[in-house]
Amino acid sequence: MKKAKDLAIGRRAFLKITAGAAAASTVGLPQKASAETDHQLSTLIDLSLCDGCPDKKVPSCVSACKEINQDRIPQVTDPIPEPWPRKTIEDWSKKQDAFHRLTPYNFIYVHKAEVSVDGQPKTVFVPRRCMHCDNPACATICPFSANHKNKNGAVVIDQDLCFGGAKCRDVCPWEIPQRQSGVGIYLKVLPGLMGNGVMYKCDLCFERTVAGQLPGCVEACPREAMLIGTRKAIEQMAEARAKRMNGSIYGKTQNGGTATLYVSPVPFEEINKTMARKPGQPDMKTDVKRRMKGTDPLARAVLASPALGIAAAGAAWVLNRKNRTAGEE
Amino acid sequence: MTRKILTEKNLVVRHSALELLEHWAIALSGLVLLLTGIFELPVGKRYYIINVPGLGWSADFITSLYLHYAAAVVFTGAAMFHVFYHGLRGEQGLMPRKGDASESVTVIKSLFGFGEEPPMHKYLPEQRLAYAGMAFIILMLIVSGLVKTYKNIYAPDMSHAVLLWATWIHNIAFILFFLAFLAHMAAILLKPNWPMVRGIFTGRVRLDYARHRHTLWLAEMEPAPKQPAPAVEGALPVKEAEAFADDTEEDDLPPELEKPEEMPKDKPEIDKGA
Ligand code: HEM
Ligand code: SF4
Ligand code: SF4
Repeated sequence: MKKAKDLAIGRRAFLKITAGAAAASTVGLPQKASAETDHQLSTLIDLSLCDGCPDKKVPSCVSACKEINQDRIPQVTDPIPEPWPRKTIEDWSKKQDAFHRLTPYNFIYVHKAEVSVDGQPKTVFVPRRCMHCDNPACATICPFSANHKNKNGAVVIDQDLCFGGAKCRDVCPWEIPQRQSGVGIYLKVLPGLMGNGVMYKCDLCFERTVAGQLPGCVEACPREAMLIGTRKAIEQMAEARAKRMNGSIYGKTQNGGTATLYVSPVPFEEINKTMARKPGQPDMKTDVKRRMKGTDPLARAVLASPALGIAAAGAAWVLNRKNRTAGEE
Repeated sequence: MTRKILTEKNLVVRHSALELLEHWAIALSGLVLLLTGIFELPVGKRYYIINVPGLGWSADFITSLYLHYAAAVVFTGAAMFHVFYHGLRGEQGLMPRKGDASESVTVIKSLFGFGEEPPMHKYLPEQRLAYAGMAFIILMLIVSGLVKTYKNIYAPDMSHAVLLWATWIHNIAFILFFLAFLAHMAAILLKPNWPMVRGIFTGRVRLDYARHRHTLWLAEMEPAPKQPAPAVEGALPVKEAEAFADDTEEDDLPPELEKPEEMPKDKPEIDKGA
């Protein structure tokens, strides 16, 4: 077993290792489906390192992400069909440069948190994007299975299958996915009546990681504030760093666990106070329950129900036979 | 001993209590599934369903999921019970028979005043076809629904291909279920079928109606007049030979006094007074 450190890589470490083998084994998508945690990727966002890229207009992670995804959204139809009866249209095509919030054209943004630690003012920068949750409702109850959790942990929306109903945004505790109206398969079906575009969000640079490359934000960060690696390695590293800075971790338990671990010297309760929850700007409440967990016991009953039905049929049949023979005597 | 033909009340028992229970368990849970399934789609806000008094929860997908699951337990359990219970008993009155398709056309034409209805069994030919169709749709819903349920608890990262199949089968079968339900309701609206409606609530239909319309069913319970009466002891009805040999012992129907030529018959189709 390699040591945790070897398996979690950021920009510099990545530059050192040869692109092929090591990258493919730690970052690449396994060829064969496997439940082993070795194939699951996690990312670490170290808030003690992120400085918000003060010398740049747009933070490096944000601009790298924008560049990689710039051609993702096809030409938006003009005019965008008016949905009926609620007329909501979400169109970011004329504001593609916006980078202070999540939009269909912007999958990561950096929140600036002015906090006070022991009475001292302190600024913390918090890159925000999809957490790639372990059991993400956004994916599991997508009515078209357009949003799917992959074996490597990445939660990916297939823009060719998405109808843009925004159910994923409604069930995401951080309302991460963002809608662009006027694109996607709904245009070919009943645009006025069902669907309303396509949902977009971070996909952990799925194609790049499969090809053994780093996600754009991880690769671009000059301070190695973001790392990616096997789940185990990232978890160990997050624990170690949190301990060292006497700080805390975010993303380990929230929404039932995620593949994104923030470590911060400043408690997340403090950081959250600086975050007014707005569209495209998620907060960081520490108490985030996975609501679907409550449905699991009933779901188990559903899985048991065929057997229960068959058992009842058998019992009723036997009883009936007995009665019949008894009646004959 | 169950009496099937209640001459003095002009009624005949069409469904046992157990069968009524099966029907209503599936029907009511199916309606809940249909409604909460629709609410699993992002329609609550868009179509202002949340503004309908009492439906404020329609845009809360997790609440709908609780209800969808609860109804799915009843629905799946009842469907499996139905298949295995009646399967074990060898009952097949609802299974499609040869010629049902063309006979359905004749019956449906007659419903609109064209031509005569042929003599019919307990179930009409189109009822048997509809049963098979509905059974298929329900099977698709259950199998795909189980896959989706399993995914939600244990395997959010299961094979995307399998999941896409399950999802689309579920969605298409949902539309078919809805259409089949509408067709079911439409059939009830047709006047000639009205006498069967009380049957699904009380288990009994009018005897004169059954004699007139479900001639072959009644013939299975009341031996045909021309059959040589007393001769063979314990004789089985030869006529409807395909029929349902399992149930003989239970139903010794009393000879009907006002029709002396009719013999007691011991072969009802699928009903056992449960
Ligand atoms: C009358 C029968 C049924 C109808 C009309 C129906 C309809 C629907 C519809 C329209 C949806 C939303 C679209 C989708 O998610 O694919 C849905 C979702 C769902 N259905 Fe059903 N359904 C039925 C029976 C069942 C049964 C028997 C089960 C379980 C055995 C089941 C399990 C589920 C689950 C778990 C979902 C939530 C979405 C997901 O987890 O992917 N359904 N249903
Ligand atoms: S953060 Fe939201 S969008 Fe991302 S995986 Fe979790 S639930 Fe889905
Ligand atoms: S994570 Fe790295 S690239 Fe992004 S803002 Fe912070 S320092 Fe810059």
